[in-house]
Order: sequence, then C-alpha cells, then structure tokens
Amino acid sequence: MTDHNSTNQETTHFGFKQVPVEDKANKVADVFHSVAAKYDIMNDLMSGGIHRLWKRFTIEISGVRAGHKVLDIAGGTGDLSYKFSQLVGKDGLVVLADINDSMLKVGRDRLTDRGVCGNLVVAQADAQYLPFPDNTFDCITIAFGLRNVTDKDLALRSMLRVLKPGGRLLVLEFSKPRSQLLNKAYDAYSFRILPLIGKLVTNDSESYSYLAESIRMHPDQSTLKDMMETAGFTNCSYHDMTGGIVALHKGIKP
Amino acid sequence: MLDPTLLVAASATLEAIINKALQYDPATLKSLQKNTGKSLAIEISELNLTLCFHLGNPITITNHCEDPTVKLKGSLPALLSLALSDSTNLAKSGVTAWGNTAFLAEVKSIARRMEIDWEDAINQWLGDIAGHQIAEGLRRQFGWLNNRRISGERLLKEFLTEELRATPSPAELESFTSAVDQIYLKTDRLNARIQQLSARLQQQDSATNKE
Repeated sequence: MTDHNSTNQETTHFGFKQVPVEDKANKVADVFHSVAAKYDIMNDLMSGGIHRLWKRFTIEISGVRAGHKVLDIAGGTGDLSYKFSQLVGKDGLVVLADINDSMLKVGRDRLTDRGVCGNLVVAQADAQYLPFPDNTFDCITIAFGLRNVTDKDLALRSMLRVLKPGGRLLVLEFSKPRSQLLNKAYDAYSFRILPLIGKLVTNDSESYSYLAESIRMHPDQSTLKDMMETAGFTNCSYHDMTGGIVALHKGIKP
Repeated sequence: MLDPTLLVAASATLEAIINKALQYDPATLKSLQKNTGKSLAIEISELNLTLCFHLGNPITITNHCEDPTVKLKGSLPALLSLALSDSTNLAKSGVTAWGNTAFLAEVKSIARRMEIDWEDAINQWLGDIAGHQIAEGLRRQFGWLNNRRISGERLLKEFLTEELRATPSPAELESFTSAVDQIYLKTDRLNARIQQLSARLQQQDSATNKE
C-alpha cells in the first residue's frame, strides 16, 4: 500500500494526500489526539447512533464466550471492550489496545468508571507490531482502525500471528456503498456535512475531512477480503451493513 | 436477506421491550434468571431469520447463535401457533426442535405463568391515583372484550351448527367417526372371512384334482 515518489522516498496516503511513510503514524496520531475528548459524542452525532448497532453486530458475530481471550485493537474509548469484558467473565481476558495514548486514556477512564476491572488490561500497541506472544487470543477485533494503519498487510499478518489456531479476526470498517444513489448521498454527507459537524462540535474540521478522505482511500469489501486471504486467514467472508457503508470482515486462523 | 443493521435494531428494540416488561413481573424474572446461560434460538424459515434469546439479567437477543440450548425451526404461523397453544407437544405442529427440549418445556411453563403488572408501569408515569383509575378502566375494557370474545365464539359455533347446519356438532361428529370406525372394523372382518373362505375353496379344489 505504499508508493515511491521521484526522490525514491516511500510514501503512503494520508486521506487524499501522499505523505512519507514514517510521517503517517504521527499525522494519524495528531488527528486522534485532537478528537479523543469528544470522540464518543462525535460518533453518535456523525452516525446518528448507528455505530452502536454496527458494534453490536460485531459482538454477535464474534462468538466470544466465558474464558476467552480477546484483543480489541484500535479499541479507542472501549465500546467493544466493555461488552467483551462482560462476555468473557472472570476467567477470560480482554486487552484494550490502541496506538494513541489520548484515546487509550479516555477508554481506560471510561471503563474504570463503568466498573470494569479484573479481566481487562490496557496496552498501547501498534497493530503492525503487536507485542503479544504467538497464538494468544481467541478473537481479535479492529473497529474503524485498519484504515489508519500505515501498512495494512503487515498489521493483518501480525494479527494472524497472535491469534490462536481457529481464532477469528473481525474487521469492522467503513467500506463502499452498493447503490450508486446511496454512494452520492454518502459523498455529499461525508465531504460537506461531516466537516461542518466537526467544526461546530470540536472546532476541528480538518480531522473530520481526513476521516472522510481516509474512508475513500480504504480498500473496498472484496479487496480487503483478498488481503486477509493473502495474509493467511481462511474462511474469509464479509457482511455489508447499512447498504455497504460499513462492512464487517471475518477471517479464521487455520 | 435484510440488512444486518435493521435486524440488529429490531432485536435491540425487542430486547429493550422484554427487559422493561419483565421489571414489572419479578416472579418471571426470577424464574428466567435460574436459567442464566441457557439460550433459545428460533429460526423463522420463510424469513431466513434467527432470533436467539440468551437468558439472564438482562435477557439479550441476537441474530446469531453458535450453540443454543434448544433451537426451534418452523414457519411463522406454526411458531406463533405453538407459542399461543397450551400444548408442549411438537408432533404435527410444523415446528422442528433440536437440543434440550426439557428446557423448552420450562420456558413455555414460565411464559404461561407470566403476569406483568401493567398498573405499576402506568403508575410510574402518571402517579398512583390517575394510574389506578386508568388501569381499572383498562381492566374493565379488557374484561368486557374478553367476555364478548368468549360469547362471540360460542354464538358463532351455535349458529354454524344449529342454524346453518354448516358444521356438525361435536356429538354428531363423534357418532359419525364412531360409525366410520365400526364400518372399518366390519370391513376388515369381512375381508378376513373372504380370504378364509377363498383358502378353503382352494384346498377343496386341490383335493378334488388329486382324486
């Protein structure tokens, strides 16, 4: 997912812009430092609350049960981790991981306030280089995080490594709407209304312009499925949600 | 196949309604809590839709269930008919069951005993005095409607049987089926008698031919 420019410097996309590979992580980090405090309220405003239904569906598909070990990558403010901590019970473990410490602090505080303890740990981790032993987790989820990763193939291979054989990876991410009409409406919403909401609520329209741009640059449903298969996952499939605006990809470690 | 977002929204709404209603029936809630960890999956065949009820406090409803305690599959009318009937027998119901059917019988028994205190729910909103008056009014209306339904059913039955003579009365039907049974038995006996006579004739023929 990287390109070489005329000076032989490796570049990658940051929204619609091309930036040096080593700069992308910092730029993404800046975006999330900026939005962390109002991340939840913005999610509700931008999606009309539908993001809760997408996450609920992800939890249904995860098949997580008591005693499981779950890694919630790019877990942000801990929506999925909270539900997982209830499902795995006292004998299970949930690791809430995020590369961004601002998001992680918000998530950790929020989960502590909700009384989650004992079966949940918080880790600042890069999805490309997960700091866990091989064959550790029964389930890994990455919700609205993969598109921000610089090298998605490397991240998928890293997730495969730490999954137990038979464990499942779930990638919840924005995707490509199936209908042309919906696509046009979605474009208008993403590029006009979304930055406006960002400006009004967080006084930061640029971060939300990046959000819209990064969604357009993210691989579509079938490309991501192919990427998962190339990384080594089997039985890969995906569910389109809300007309394909979001897709949930599932892959199993053989 | 419906969009998963809609399915999840519908199951979340149903879940919220059931959990809210159960707050006003603590006895049922306690009975259901005894079965925490068990799940009942219902697959509606024509809609290709599965609803899985995970018992506990609160009850959760999902559209995916990997290993339910018991699973029922059938058409919507068949499932509704089973839910509304007092019978726990699945024979000829059009519903197929897998798993622990004793748990299914228990759920049915709990559902039959369910008694939601609607008055308490109304009182939460309108206060004790207004809530009680409205609940009394509703009870009277429901009582009246229930009586009308019972007498309506009886009158319709009598009209069809006695006036129109379109359907037989239970006594007539019983007498008719009894007569059919008798004919069936007599026909069987006659058939056996004919076969016996036929065998005897064959024996006589073969004896005559030997002579």
